[in-house]
Amino acid sequence: MIDWPAFFVVLVATLVGASLVVTLYSLGLRLVDHAAGWQRPVGIACFVACALVVLYGVYLVIPYFHQ
Amino acid sequence: MVALVIVLALFFDFTNGFHDTANAMATPIATGALKPKAAVAIAATLNLVGAFLSTEVARTISGGLIREGDGGIQITPVMIFAGLIGATLWNMVTWFLGLPSSSSHALFGGLIGAAIVGAGFGSVDFSVLLSKVVLPALLAPLTAGLVAFIAVKIIYSITKKRQRNGFKHGQVFTSSLVSLAHGTNDAQKTMGVITLTLIAGGFQATGSGPEFWVIAVCALAIALGTYTGGWRIIRTMGKGLTEIEPGQGFAAEASTAATILASSHLGFALSTTQVSSGSVIGTGIGRKGASVRWRTAGRIALGWLITIPAAAAVGAIAAFVALSGTVGIIVDTVVAVGVIAGIFLYARGNRVDARNVHDEPTVLVRPKRSRKQRKQDEKELRKGGNAQ
Repeated sequence: MIDWPAFFVVLVATLVGASLVVTLYSLGLRLVDHAAGWQRPVGIACFVACALVVLYGVYLVIPYFHQ
Repeated sequence: MVALVIVLALFFDFTNGFHDTANAMATPIATGALKPKAAVAIAATLNLVGAFLSTEVARTISGGLIREGDGGIQITPVMIFAGLIGATLWNMVTWFLGLPSSSSHALFGGLIGAAIVGAGFGSVDFSVLLSKVVLPALLAPLTAGLVAFIAVKIIYSITKKRQRNGFKHGQVFTSSLVSLAHGTNDAQKTMGVITLTLIAGGFQATGSGPEFWVIAVCALAIALGTYTGGWRIIRTMGKGLTEIEPGQGFAAEASTAATILASSHLGFALSTTQVSSGSVIGTGIGRKGASVRWRTAGRIALGWLITIPAAAAVGAIAAFVALSGTVGIIVDTVVAVGVIAGIFLYARGNRVDARNVHDEPTVLVRPKRSRKQRKQDEKELRKGGNAQ
């Protein structure tokens, strides 16, 4: 029958991954919107972190990297 | 026979491509993050690249659905041929109706139908069918929908309204990731079919991987299909289910990508089509002020339900005819080509392409129009064309 533990692992991983990407990107958008101050660099850092998460996704997509 | 199967497999790959462009590109097209033509070009390129990146083809065509190999039944090229006819025709029908349905399920369905006719009911493992196909088909949209719902809530609580156009830039990347993930999965099915046919026909050693030319033609076929763009399905996904804002599109693509990546890496395979439809609906529920057209969603769900039986029925009929001998195979080929050409020709009556993809689809199937009305419409269209 269906492999429920595997399904829950997938569900949790998906939730964490997607939330991470959207949270970082949203924070980035919000913080970069400020003209000056500490917010701008932090916002850019959020974008960079988001890009890294997406790159990790690319890494996972390409089997060549992890065989 | 083997050559015929290869040609048909490649055509199936092509339909798979244009069926699935919508999974990645419906949302960026709908929000205006990407121009329609640019979107399909990106998707096609990434599918091409993806097909070369991963050549991990399935060892069995059906993933255990059919009891293949030792102690099981021998899948013959004729059965694969009939199965492919079922899968391809069903893909054409769902494309015409603008229904995003799973191409893998169509392939499984077609093969199941052919196997039942060719080798009896015992050849199909129905418990595998339930645990690997039917239940995941329920779970995929629910998972993706839930995640997309939460993602939209996060996005709309963090950002202010005027900042949300920034999600368009993000959409380019997330939708590209979905395309790449698709490319590393879907062309491999056809590679597997062709390779197993070559092995069954004695042209290739048992247990060997796909030849380079097989990889190349499969990659090209799926990329070409993707570039052709299943505009009907893009319209259903992008406009038919709910109104999509950039923030929602970003959330939907991020959830789709996350779900596909997680499921393919943690060993619980989910269908790309079902995941991305679920994501779009989830973002529709999640955003305040957006409404989900449940009638359309219901029709899509119904399409998923009947994909396997319908493809199986066509596959079974094709197998029944094909097993009668060479004449049967010729009859099958002629009928299949005729039906495909017929659907293409009939579909020209209400073209959906890069230009009118933003129109609201009021109905999935076009309303019946009288011949006179249609002629009048065409006349006006021609006039409009001349005026430009």
